[in-house]
Amino acid sequence: MKNKKNSVLVLGAGIAGIQASLDLAEMGVEVHLIEDTPTIGGRMPQLDKTFPTNDCSMCILSPKMSECARHPLITIHIMSALKEISGDPGNFICRVIERAKYVDPVKCVSCGLCEAKCPVKIDDEFDMGLRKTRAISRYFLQSIPSEYTINPRHCLYLTKGVCKLCEKVCPTGAINYEDKDKEIDISVGAVILATGIDPFNPIGFGQYGYHRYSNVVTSLEFERMLSASGPFGGHIVRASDDQPPKKLAFIQCVGSRDEGIDKNYCSSACCMFAIKQSIIAKEHSRDLEASIFYMDIRAFGKDFDKYYDKAENHYGVKFKRSKIADITELPDGCLELKYTYENGDIQREVFDLVVLSTGFQPRQGSRELSENLDFRLNRFGFCHSDTFHPQETTRKGVFVCGAMNSPKDIPESVVSASGAVAGAVKLLDPGRHDVSTGEKEIKEKDVVGERPRVGVFVCHCGINIAGVVDVKNVAEMAKGLKNVEHSEDVMYACSTDCLEIIKERIEEHDLNRVVVAACTPRTHEPLFRDTISAAGLNPYLFEMANIRDQCSWAHMNEPEKATAKSRDLVEMAVSKARSLTPLKRLPIAIDPEALIIGGGLAGMTCALAIADAGHDVFLVEKENVFGGNMRDIFFNPDGSDPQQFLAETIEKVENHSGIRVFLNSTIEEIAGYVGNFRTMFTNGSGQQEELTHGVVVVATGGQEHKTTEYLYDESSRVITQKEFEAMLHDEKFPPGKLREVVFVQCVGSREEGRMYCSRVCCSKAVKNARQLQHKKAKANIYFAYRDVRTYGFSEQYYSELRDSGALFFRYTPGNKPEVEKIDPDDPDSRIRVTLFDPVLEKDVVIDADLLVLATAIDPLEENLRLAKMLKIPLNSDGLFLEAHVKLRPVDFATDGIFVCGLAHSPKDMGESIAQAKAAGSRALTFLKKRSILAEGTIAEVRTDRCSGCGYCEDVCAYAAIEIDLEEGVAVINDALCKGCGACVASCRCGALDLRGFTNEQLFSVFDSLEIEAVEGIL
Amino acid sequence: MNTTNELRKNIKSLIAEKKVDLFLGWEKGSLPLAATPLFVTAEDQADKAIFDVTCGNNLSIYFTKDKKQFEGRKVGIAVKGCDARSVVLNILEKQIKRENVVIVGLPCNGVLDRKKVLAKTDGREVLELIDNGDTVIVKGNGFDLQLNREEVLSSSCLACIYPDAQEYDFFIGEARGEVPNEGRLKEIEEFQTLSSLERWEQTRAEYEKCIRCYACRNVCPSCYCNVCFVDQNDPRWIGGTSEYTDTLIFHVIRNLHVAGRCVECGACQRACPMDINLLMLNRKVAMEVKDRFGDIAGLDINGKPAMSDFKEDEKQKFIMG
Amino acid sequence: MSEWQPRILAILCNWCSYAGADLAGVSRMQYPPSIRVVRVPCSGRVDPLFILKSLQSGFDGVLVSGCHPGDCHYISGNYVARRKFAVLKPLLEYIGLEPNRVQFSWISAGEGDRFAKVVTKITEDVRELGPATRLVKKL
Repeated sequence: MKNKKNSVLVLGAGIAGIQASLDLAEMGVEVHLIEDTPTIGGRMPQLDKTFPTNDCSMCILSPKMSECARHPLITIHIMSALKEISGDPGNFICRVIERAKYVDPVKCVSCGLCEAKCPVKIDDEFDMGLRKTRAISRYFLQSIPSEYTINPRHCLYLTKGVCKLCEKVCPTGAINYEDKDKEIDISVGAVILATGIDPFNPIGFGQYGYHRYSNVVTSLEFERMLSASGPFGGHIVRASDDQPPKKLAFIQCVGSRDEGIDKNYCSSACCMFAIKQSIIAKEHSRDLEASIFYMDIRAFGKDFDKYYDKAENHYGVKFKRSKIADITELPDGCLELKYTYENGDIQREVFDLVVLSTGFQPRQGSRELSENLDFRLNRFGFCHSDTFHPQETTRKGVFVCGAMNSPKDIPESVVSASGAVAGAVKLLDPGRHDVSTGEKEIKEKDVVGERPRVGVFVCHCGINIAGVVDVKNVAEMAKGLKNVEHSEDVMYACSTDCLEIIKERIEEHDLNRVVVAACTPRTHEPLFRDTISAAGLNPYLFEMANIRDQCSWAHMNEPEKATAKSRDLVEMAVSKARSLTPLKRLPIAIDPEALIIGGGLAGMTCALAIADAGHDVFLVEKENVFGGNMRDIFFNPDGSDPQQFLAETIEKVENHSGIRVFLNSTIEEIAGYVGNFRTMFTNGSGQQEELTHGVVVVATGGQEHKTTEYLYDESSRVITQKEFEAMLHDEKFPPGKLREVVFVQCVGSREEGRMYCSRVCCSKAVKNARQLQHKKAKANIYFAYRDVRTYGFSEQYYSELRDSGALFFRYTPGNKPEVEKIDPDDPDSRIRVTLFDPVLEKDVVIDADLLVLATAIDPLEENLRLAKMLKIPLNSDGLFLEAHVKLRPVDFATDGIFVCGLAHSPKDMGESIAQAKAAGSRALTFLKKRSILAEGTIAEVRTDRCSGCGYCEDVCAYAAIEIDLEEGVAVINDALCKGCGACVASCRCGALDLRGFTNEQLFSVFDSLEIEAVEGIL
Repeated sequence: MNTTNELRKNIKSLIAEKKVDLFLGWEKGSLPLAATPLFVTAEDQADKAIFDVTCGNNLSIYFTKDKKQFEGRKVGIAVKGCDARSVVLNILEKQIKRENVVIVGLPCNGVLDRKKVLAKTDGREVLELIDNGDTVIVKGNGFDLQLNREEVLSSSCLACIYPDAQEYDFFIGEARGEVPNEGRLKEIEEFQTLSSLERWEQTRAEYEKCIRCYACRNVCPSCYCNVCFVDQNDPRWIGGTSEYTDTLIFHVIRNLHVAGRCVECGACQRACPMDINLLMLNRKVAMEVKDRFGDIAGLDINGKPAMSDFKEDEKQKFIMG
Repeated sequence: MSEWQPRILAILCNWCSYAGADLAGVSRMQYPPSIRVVRVPCSGRVDPLFILKSLQSGFDGVLVSGCHPGDCHYISGNYVARRKFAVLKPLLEYIGLEPNRVQFSWISAGEGDRFAKVVTKITEDVRELGPATRLVKKL
């Protein structure tokens, strides 16, 4: 391929698009992130909490959003659309339409005066129409970019030629009614699509009365109602009377699992979503009653079943397996639900509020997009992709991630995004790069030993601050503070001309510390740091006083007190600034090779992803063959051949010049840290070998649970699902006829000792049952299950099986199927299975020719050894525990170590492939750098004070501190320290300190107001 | 005196079999009220060892305050219940390796508080002491007193639950088992019924006595920082004056530093020249650590010290709702 | 002379509570102008001495706020912090400091309203107690 472009276009800036952009940018690839709405973030900002940890959604997302906005290689195009892709993979031209924003983002300071004055009220899309916004607005409070935009469909001036109020009040002249749509061509090497989904719209879905009954809401509307930043400030009230509901009903599968509307797929996330909402609602008000009406609870993800259990048994959420027949509205606005249990019992119950758990559907305009960009959709209108290539569309060089190609929850979207990046990066040639240390070659002034000379700049922010705080007074006061050489008030500290002023003042007054009193350091500190850096000061010699977000805006009616507070805040900032010291971010060299532990499907896929991107891989497998658990998989529901794919993969791995394979090999010891690992292992010939490498991927896999239940050890007619698949493949059926076949699900899963769902067994059993029907047309199939968890598109195969006459019997843990040999002395005897039929409410007896057990997937025992070696955690089930279950699903907290495949949790082939590619991608974000920079604000040790007690080591979540037992002192690994300071506060000896937040600096802040405070009392 | 004899035998064989290079025990002090530390390196020195009510010293402090001496040496140590907990903490805190220490556990009947005895003798020097179990006889120039044991034991011993060493390689004598000592927290519970202001006034009065001599810290088996935070000047953690807020902050922080690490041996209180009721703070902290985290300092050699650990679902009622 | 305004030091973690404070402002939620904010990376950075020192130098109250359990940007810093506060808080009450002078809370980046409420609450509590005297160092 000639002229490889080192850039990618990402369409859609939800969590998937953001993750893909960040991964690419970290690899040194230029990214154009195209987003339809005025902000990046997608659906996640609308969520209050996330399951199964109840993490605050915005808390975990906003750092990623800001990172995206700040990254020099990412260009965000909001209010934009991708119209056409021409050219070839590696060399595309993308035509992008950027819609007019009517506000100049360079001039806009996001003060909000325009919105306050805008007379046009419109439904707030972000808040699902539960609140009004204006024609000029920000999409939501923490939007990125934060600048305002005008909605041209509603703006009075743009529609009727009158008003212009926003132009009048705008203090910076940012309004531009003449703004026009622009068409631009962007040339890129690959395209990643991540446009997400739409929630199913139940309007016109008569039976539930949505929009007819005011107290019937969708789950996303309810999420906004739960949110503290939502339209009701986190108070759940119903629309009809503004009263908090006492009884809540959640109705599952609205717009999912419904053949009637051609949505014969499961949306995969709604069960957990409803469970989460019921828990949060109960947390809002303990006496609230919540019921979930469902067909099957599909809590199939890692730690999901524990969450389900907690909802039911700790929070008392009621789970009602039933079908809703009808909803009627009562005169008081309450809703009467008529529902039928599986035994036919009809119940009526009145609820205050009904939440429809609406499913996912393809985005509006998907069809048009697929035609414009020339890729195929599947039968449900989602983007088509296949099991073995989960992130590839039918157009080469165009990849897909997020829920666009199948319903996904957040971590799966993140995984698929990183996975798509692995595909895209193959078409590019980013090479290795150095992380810039500030690139501009400005010589840094040496300020060590100099007396502090502080410059203070107090920002008016137009009238945002100055309208409340007496800015001049604050600036004047600052002049009198110790070590302050210069102080002035400025109109907009962040404006280009003011940044120039700051640089000039540094020069003029020979300043060596700078304090800006303005808005929040969370958004503006990087900008000011860059500025002083450009003037030759170390960027860490900067401090901010937040006198807008945390002062003038919060005390708008108390100007004097706000001024007093601002003075204090400035004084505190100056106190800290005085003792600031220059910090360096030290480079850490990165070895370009990767070690992958485990040569199953995940390990091999990951190895190929990394090697195809030009990095050497060491692939270590303990067995004498590659393939792991995949060697036992022979069928795929879509008809493709797993064994053929496996053989091709092994061949690719073995013939790849960048992959060194080590079979029959055992890891003995892994030492080192990100970029610099050293591994000892015993190779196939029993010799010790050493490898050095920059990253580690744990892909050790899992194993089938060995059961003793259901006569497994005693009868040849009782086999596991895995054995059954081999039987189907080899067509070696037991002697005699094969008429009655019973499947038992959840053998070992979801019960004491293994409180998790093994995720794949339902789909696998359905797949094998269909194979059996194919090969033995006369076989009768009986399916004993607890919940059928054929999530995603597997649902269609389940309903096909059901339609084909297979009989399904639900059982409970207290009423498991009973089995006995008809002839106890004959090992080949047929098996008598007694099943309780909850529909008929009586036992059903089947004399089975074959009993197939869906046994659980177990973690490997040796996980523990590896976990200790790498200092990475396992969860209570013995599965490797990732850094963050939502947003860092393949990373460990310790940098440079990644996980994929069954070692992480049970998953199917497609999911293992996606995750393996994701792990490869994440690994490449390190490998593509020749060096990374350690954080500037990290902990340091004064060894003369350290007594080596090890508390710091214990409290460090990143394995960044170790006690050197020889010397008896703590040693910090600069490469791993994230600068939280937990170790520092846990050190009684005062041996640790946190650069940038040292004890000295903080003490001086606590003491800064001392004199005044005492005077205040006198 | 059986225990003492057995202890001597044990030390001899440890030295003879070269299981230890050095053994830490007690010998009779020059004054009868306090035994002094004994360092045994040869068999014949073992006969000096004693174990009785005067063996108040917690010998584990040598592991931390005199670290260098023990490098590369196998050390034997005689321990009471509280001492054993200190040794366990020293092991958990990486001050000494378990394999390098041979712990000889003893059942403790409590140790004397010299200050309490001297109060009974009106400050007259005690020349002879006889331990009769329930009573203790002290003799000196012109006096011969029989004292009830409870009257002269260290306050810490009167509240002790674990008089026997819980972690040991050898145990000598008859174990006493756990002592319920109900009412051990009575003083604290009563104090807690006072109003906030009353508590403040009492606390203030108590700590205004402090002269910042740091005897409490110097004898504490859990205080072994190379430079104590109060002595650090860059930056200065707290004022060095004996003004009561500085003093009180010193004591509060010291107590937090020994949270989950204080074995309630009472050495600090016995050492305090100003008679400050220091244990009132220590015990309160230990109580909280036990109630909240289920941890008792130095009992579990396989555990983690409380303040270096956490659980996700801990009680957090004290957090604003 | 206007009514006495308590001065309360608020030590906020950067990722959740400080962001929550910003959100309160962005949402124009109004709360008493009593707090003086110090930003730290994580509640795990907070040494109990910070709180005592602040009281000694005359702050009328101290609020420490971090991420909710499970939300910590640094995975477990808030759990480490919680153990310290869990011992410190009852100890301060025990020695006779007014319980409401020192308070802890969890505030997420999305809880601007909660931030405003927490500040209002601690301000009211401290106002009721009056100016700090007990641990204040007299010069």
